[in-house]
Amino acid sequence: MPSILRRNSPRLGLLAVTVGFWLWFAIFATGFTSDFNMFTLLRFAAVQIAIAFGQMIALSAGEMNLSLGAIGGGVAMCAGGLMEVLGLDPLLALPIGLALGALMGAINGFLVVRTGINSFVITLATASVYTGLMLAITQADSYDDLPEAFLTFSRIRVLGYPVSPLVLVMLGAAAALWLLYNKTRLGREILAVGANRRAAAMSGVNVNMTLIKTHMLSGLLAGLAGIMNAAMLADAVPRIGMDWLLPSFAIAVIGGTAITGGTVSVAGAIIGGLLVASITNGVLLLNVSNFFVNLFLGLILLLAVSLDRIRDVVETRLSMGIRR
Amino acid sequence: MTRSTAMARGRQSLSRFSEYSWAGLLLIILLLVVIMSVVSDSFLSDFNIFVVLRSVATAVLIGSAQMAVLSIGQMNLSVGAIGGLAAITAGGIMDAYGLPVWLAIIGGLACGAAAGALNGIIVARTGLNAFIVTIATASVFLGLNLGLTSAQPFYDLDPNFTSFGQARFGFFPVMGFITVATMIALAVFYYRTLVGRQLLAVGGNLSAAQTAGIPVGRRVVWAHILSGLLAGGAGMLWASQLGAAQPMIGQSWLLVSFAVPIIGGVALTGGSVRIIGLFLAALIIALINNMLVHLGIDPVYVELLLGLLILGTVWASHVATRSEETKRSLR
Repeated sequence: MPSILRRNSPRLGLLAVTVGFWLWFAIFATGFTSDFNMFTLLRFAAVQIAIAFGQMIALSAGEMNLSLGAIGGGVAMCAGGLMEVLGLDPLLALPIGLALGALMGAINGFLVVRTGINSFVITLATASVYTGLMLAITQADSYDDLPEAFLTFSRIRVLGYPVSPLVLVMLGAAAALWLLYNKTRLGREILAVGANRRAAAMSGVNVNMTLIKTHMLSGLLAGLAGIMNAAMLADAVPRIGMDWLLPSFAIAVIGGTAITGGTVSVAGAIIGGLLVASITNGVLLLNVSNFFVNLFLGLILLLAVSLDRIRDVVETRLSMGIRR
Repeated sequence: MTRSTAMARGRQSLSRFSEYSWAGLLLIILLLVVIMSVVSDSFLSDFNIFVVLRSVATAVLIGSAQMAVLSIGQMNLSVGAIGGLAAITAGGIMDAYGLPVWLAIIGGLACGAAAGALNGIIVARTGLNAFIVTIATASVFLGLNLGLTSAQPFYDLDPNFTSFGQARFGFFPVMGFITVATMIALAVFYYRTLVGRQLLAVGGNLSAAQTAGIPVGRRVVWAHILSGLLAGGAGMLWASQLGAAQPMIGQSWLLVSFAVPIIGGVALTGGSVRIIGLFLAALIIALINNMLVHLGIDPVYVELLLGLLILGTVWASHVATRSEETKRSLR
C-alpha cells in the first residue's frame, strides 16, 4: 500500500462511510439530492465543522473547551447587538465579535495556566459565567433585525452552485488551520505540548504561553462558528451554542483528533462534519422520528472511537510481531 | 526527621486542609442565611426552608452520581441523560402499564443501573476515555428517551408517588430521608467495605491498585453502575417533585453534577469522596438560587454565580495546597 494511502487510511475509511450514507439517503430519502436540500445541508455542515474546529484545536494541545458554545453564543449576540442596536456596519461588528471570542478564550487559557487546574473544570465554570453574562446583558432577547448585507451572505449561492458563502468561510478557516499545523512554529508547538507536556517544556517550548494561545484560537473559532450560526438562522438568538457540546467533540473525534492530545486532522474534521450533518439531515428525510437523531449520533460516535481503538490495538500487535 | 513522622505530619496537614475547606463552606452558608433572614421576612418560613432543603435533596444525589465516577478518576457526562431515562421508565411503568409504584421504582433503578453498567463495560473493555464514551452514551440515552416518549411527559402517575415530592414534616422534606439514608449507605460503602476501599484505591493510584491485585476492570464497572443507580434515583425524585415524568429531566444537570462534588471538595483526579461536602455544596447552591428568587433578581444570574463559585473554590483549594506544599518544604 502506498504510504500516502496508509497514512490517510482512517480518513479514507471515514470518507467511505460518508459516501455510503450519501448513497443510501440518495436512493431512499426523497429530496435528499434536491438542489435546496444540498444547499441547506452543506450550509449546516459548514457551521458544524466550524464548531468542531474550535474543539479540535483545544484537543490537539491536550485541553478541552466546554465553553465553546457559551463563547459562540456570546459572540453571536454581541455582533448581533452591535449591528442592530448600535447600527454598526457588519465589517466593523464582526471583527469586534471575533475579538471578544478570542478574549474569552484567552481568559480560559490564563485561568488554566495560572491555577494549573484541569481545563475541563475551568471551561465548565467559565461557560456558565459567559452564558450568565450574555443572558443578563441581552435579557434573553434575540436580535432579528440584522442588516441586509449580513443576511444575504448566507442566502446567496456561489456561482449558481448550491453552495452558501458560509461553506467558503469554513474552507478558509480550514486552510488557515492547515497552515497553522503544517507550516508554523506555533502549530508544531501546540502539537508538542499536546503529545507530551514535559518533553515540550524540556525542548524549550513555552508551555504556558502555548496553552493560552491555544485557548485564544479556540475562542476565536468558537466566535466564528457563532457568527456563522447566526447568519444561518438569520437571527442572533441566545440559544446559539447551547447544543454544541456533543457535535464539537463528536466531529473532531470521529475525524481522527485524539482527545489525549498531540494529533490533529483538519480534513478528518471536515469529513466528520459532513457525515454528522448528512445523518441528521437524511434521518429527518427518511421520516424517522427526529427524536432518534440523538441516538444515531451517539451510536456513530461510539462506533468511531471503538474502531479507532481496535485499529490501534491491531497496529500495535502487528508492529510487535514485525519486531520479533 | 524519620519517614513515619513525616507521613504523620503530612496526614495531619491533609486533615487540617479538609477542615479548612469545610469551614469555608460553612462560613458561606452562615453568611447567606444571615443576609437572607435580615433582607427577607419569608426566608425563614417553614415552606421556604422546605423548598431549599428539597432542592438540596436532589442536588446531593445528582452530585453523588458524579462523585461515584470521579472517585475512580473518571467522568460521567451521562448523569443527566440516565436520570431522565430512569424517570420516564418509572413514569411509563405507572402511566402506560398501570403497574404499582414499587415496581416503577425498581424499574427506574434497574434502568439507571443498566445504563451505568453499559457505560462501565464499554470503558473497561475498550480502555477508551470515559469522557468521550459517556458523551456518546448520553446522546444515545437521550435519543432513546425522546424516541420512546415522543417528548411527551407521563402525567398519570400514582398519587402516592407525586404526593411524596410535596410531603414534609414542618420544614423537612420527606424526600430528604431518602437522600440522607442513601448518603449514609454510601459513606459505609466507601469507608467500611472492601469493594468501596478498592474503588478509592483504583482512583488514588491505578497501577498500584493493579499491582495489589485489585480487579480494576470490574471495579470500574462497579463505579459506573453505582453512578447510574444514584442518577436514576435522582431522576425519580425529580419526577416525584414535578408531579410528572418529563423526558427533559436531567438536561440541566451537567453543571450541577460537577459543581456539587467539586465545591464539596472531591478531587477530580480520583481517590477521594466527601459525603458531608456534598451536602454543604448543595446547600450553598440552593441558598444562592433561593436568594435570587427572593430578591427578585433575574434567575440567569444563578448560572453566573455558580460558575464564579466553582472558579473560586478550585482557586482557593489550589492556593491552599500550594501554601501547604511550601510550608512542608520549608520544614
